Amino acid sequence: MTAAAAPRLPAILGTIRPRPRGRETRLLLLVGLTILVGSVSLELAGRVTDPGESAGLSPANPTHLAIYLGLIALAHVALILSGRRVDQILLPATAMLGGISLLLMERLPQSQVVQTVGPWKLGLGDIQLAWLVLSFGLATVLAITVRNDRWLRLYKYTWAAAGVALLLATYLLGDDINGQRLSLSLGPISGQPAELLKVILVVFLAGYLSEYRPLLVEESTKVGPISLPPVPFLAPMAAMWAIALGLVVVQRDLGAALLFFTVFLFLLYAATGRLGYVVLGVLLFLAGSWVMYHLVHTVQTRVDIWLDPFASPTGDGYQIVQALYAFARGGLLGTGLGAGLPTVGGRLPIPAVHTDFPLAALGEELGMVGVMAILGLFLVVVERGLRIAASAADEFRALLAAGLALVIGTQALIIVAGNLKLIPLTGITLPFVSYGGSSLLVNGIIVGLLLALSDRGVEPPPPPRQPSRFARLTGRVTRPETPAAARAPLPPAAPLQPGGTEG
Amino acid sequence: MTGATGTRSKPLGRTIGHVGLALTLAFAGLALGAGYWQVLRSPELTRAPDNPAVIAAARNVVRGPIVDRDGKVLASNRRNPDTGEPYRVYPHRAFSTVIGYASQDFGNAGLERSWNAELTGLSGGDAIGDLLRKFQADPYDPRKLTLGLSTALQRAAVAGLGDDRGAVVMLDPATGEVLALASTPTYDSSAIANPTTSRDAFAAVRDSAAKPLLTRATQGRYVPGSVFKIVTAIAGLGSGRITPSTTFPQQPRAERDGLLVSGFRVREHPGVPAETFDLADATEWSSNIWYALAGLRTGGDNLAAFAGRMGFGSQLAFDLPTVASQVTNGDGNEPGGFTDDVELANASYGQAETVVTPLQMALVAATVANDGALMRPHLVIATAGRDGSRSIAPEQAGVVFSPDDAAALTEAMRRAVESDIGRQFTSGADVPGIAVAGKSGTAELGGTGAPHSWFIGFAPVDQPRVAIAVIVERGGRGGARAAPLAGDLLALYFQTFGR
Repeated sequence: MTAAAAPRLPAILGTIRPRPRGRETRLLLLVGLTILVGSVSLELAGRVTDPGESAGLSPANPTHLAIYLGLIALAHVALILSGRRVDQILLPATAMLGGISLLLMERLPQSQVVQTVGPWKLGLGDIQLAWLVLSFGLATVLAITVRNDRWLRLYKYTWAAAGVALLLATYLLGDDINGQRLSLSLGPISGQPAELLKVILVVFLAGYLSEYRPLLVEESTKVGPISLPPVPFLAPMAAMWAIALGLVVVQRDLGAALLFFTVFLFLLYAATGRLGYVVLGVLLFLAGSWVMYHLVHTVQTRVDIWLDPFASPTGDGYQIVQALYAFARGGLLGTGLGAGLPTVGGRLPIPAVHTDFPLAALGEELGMVGVMAILGLFLVVVERGLRIAASAADEFRALLAAGLALVIGTQALIIVAGNLKLIPLTGITLPFVSYGGSSLLVNGIIVGLLLALSDRGVEPPPPPRQPSRFARLTGRVTRPETPAAARAPLPPAAPLQPGGTEG
Repeated sequence: MTGATGTRSKPLGRTIGHVGLALTLAFAGLALGAGYWQVLRSPELTRAPDNPAVIAAARNVVRGPIVDRDGKVLASNRRNPDTGEPYRVYPHRAFSTVIGYASQDFGNAGLERSWNAELTGLSGGDAIGDLLRKFQADPYDPRKLTLGLSTALQRAAVAGLGDDRGAVVMLDPATGEVLALASTPTYDSSAIANPTTSRDAFAAVRDSAAKPLLTRATQGRYVPGSVFKIVTAIAGLGSGRITPSTTFPQQPRAERDGLLVSGFRVREHPGVPAETFDLADATEWSSNIWYALAGLRTGGDNLAAFAGRMGFGSQLAFDLPTVASQVTNGDGNEPGGFTDDVELANASYGQAETVVTPLQMALVAATVANDGALMRPHLVIATAGRDGSRSIAPEQAGVVFSPDDAAALTEAMRRAVESDIGRQFTSGADVPGIAVAGKSGTAELGGTGAPHSWFIGFAPVDQPRVAIAVIVERGGRGGARAAPLAGDLLALYFQTFGR
């Protein structure tokens, strides 16, 4: 939040060297214009709709939009004043997604979510706006203040332990909602720890894979046509697999399990370049899925619904069938923002549309064209993240940036594919678009870290550490000269192509 | 374990590029998925009756009218003086089991349900047209439905069934246009559509033991009795296993002592002489023995296959929900799904596990009438909207058997109605001055109750213009209720539409 950045200004006023960010300025103007047009469309739809059938439509609140656009402008100014050379595309792309989300949450009936905080009674749009403000504020603060990565790099096992502890705490102390145990309450605040676990996982994997990359790359074990890394280094793969299955068994959280395992495989390939590991991982995944299908009732139900939702259009298949109807009603061009989602008896057609199916609502009102645009925005975010990774100063930063970008891309992929009935539906959020505080905050952290990582002027990474004793014992005993050889082509200073993408 | 060769790793930039490519390809898959649902499947899903857009439109849109073949109104609209919302009015109760109702509180039934999208005008049926309509001021274009039904015939059929439960189907064998589709009892569909009376009216109809919401003509499952012999004859002639002159030397003895099939004795009904018959004699006398022998010679596989060509074994494609008719329940291991020859012999004259709908039996009569070719039955013959009217063309469902065989069977069925012998069983089905072909049926249900009374037929014999099926539940012998009612309705047809 810029409010947090502002107090710093007087102290460092003398050292401020603003750096213009022309591309970001132009793109943000475009974003602002688009959101304004959207709100006008919403307003007009509210006027022409017969009040009798508009139970599902609430008009856009101009104050909310002003606050949101003002915040984005403040973030932009803060980045200019900070003088850092961070990426200029990520903020406009994510701000656009957040703006679309705000328009949708304004448009849905405000009674979907109601919370009372002190004297205020907050509706869906109010709460989403608050989380968006916090999320982009957090992103800006991280983008400006994070200048070294020691706190992430050196404590990967500590982070991993914290992640597991968080998971255990959720299991032991969490609240049951719809048969899933995903959220943890601390007094008045409740959140979904699995969201934070995404970032922790990427930090751990980036640390682990960058440290043991030379060893993982070597072929040591062959099972049939597949080359495996030295057996001890299979451990993280087995651990990841176990964590993913554990998530399914213990928390019934299929979405998070699928997300974690997919991101892990992507990163493993990025680090090693070995397709064999990915094949092995996919085989493990299929085996695990088969067992889960026969063991866990939730999995079986989800798969059966996916195979033929039209078999029970008013029962188990209701939600997805209604979502597909919404996509179909949208057609190529959509009904127009505010003109879709027909209500019958005052009920919205899709249950949990604000968390599980925002894309179905947008697909109806903005049409296939709108869906393409939203998918395109996600691809832009992923592309920027991977570009930041490819031009990072060392392997840890490269894998960290790639992992963070892949979390967003893969999560969007899984939930959109679920919404479109391409894979079984899992209850994860559409990044930046779905309603939900934990998800928005963690996405803010991801954007903030990506922005910070994109600055090529920050502290150089620390020199690589000696491989641990464990590694020396297991992998190096017979050929002690190899570690140096293996690391030789990877000096920390210039292992990768220079980026040169900043305008 | 194979020795490592100290492989050099690929640069991170390249592998990260690969990952980006993989994710991009996966996103392209998402785009294809969106295209599938939003373009390819869009017209069909947008018109689904349980699509909330269809339901929401139904509450506010003034539905298109429904008229009979002469333009007489069968469904119109009135406005609720309090809310201003429109509701349906149906002038003739006789059509309730066909048209159904459109109610805000209890949903839709009948044609109001199956043609809902067109009646509300939510969709015209093509994607481009739907796309363009988004830019019009009023996107809804409720369409008028013209039915092939004749109000005179429909009302006469319902009146003829009277207090009995039953069904009448009349259709044009050359086009498949349905002229009458009566099911009794009927109900007051206007009372269900009217929001002030709907609650009580719907509860009364739903809880009635007579099940008026069951459209007996398309959903009633009845034992056919002797009318099914026409199906056996079609299968025998069509497969070539019997000819019009086929006789069975063992028939005279079997008429006296019964026909022994695998230890079970098929008995004749009383009064049939102990002689050898050909097809026409057997149809005239309605001989169970001859048809059992014919069915056994035809074989279960042929019987099931030829019945299948006329629609048995699957739901008929129709404007209203239908249930499948069956020759056998198919759990046996003999050809065609029969358990053994006993079942086949009994099925051949319409007992055993044979179950039919009245619409299916009307199609059997229409197939014979139309030189062996079956036309797809349909109720709606035209729709009209802002963009003009579209008529629904006759469509051939298939050729069942040859015109020569159809002519031979027609002659047999003519004698069953017109000859002195035939008239013992089908009294009242003949129409003065018009040659009628047909077959009566008396479906024994076991127990002590009266049998179902059946008649199927068509007229005129030379150039058939109307085919008919009549069933009166517990109406007694075929000649007692069904045949006379069919005769009256055929006479009314020629009186209404000319000779």
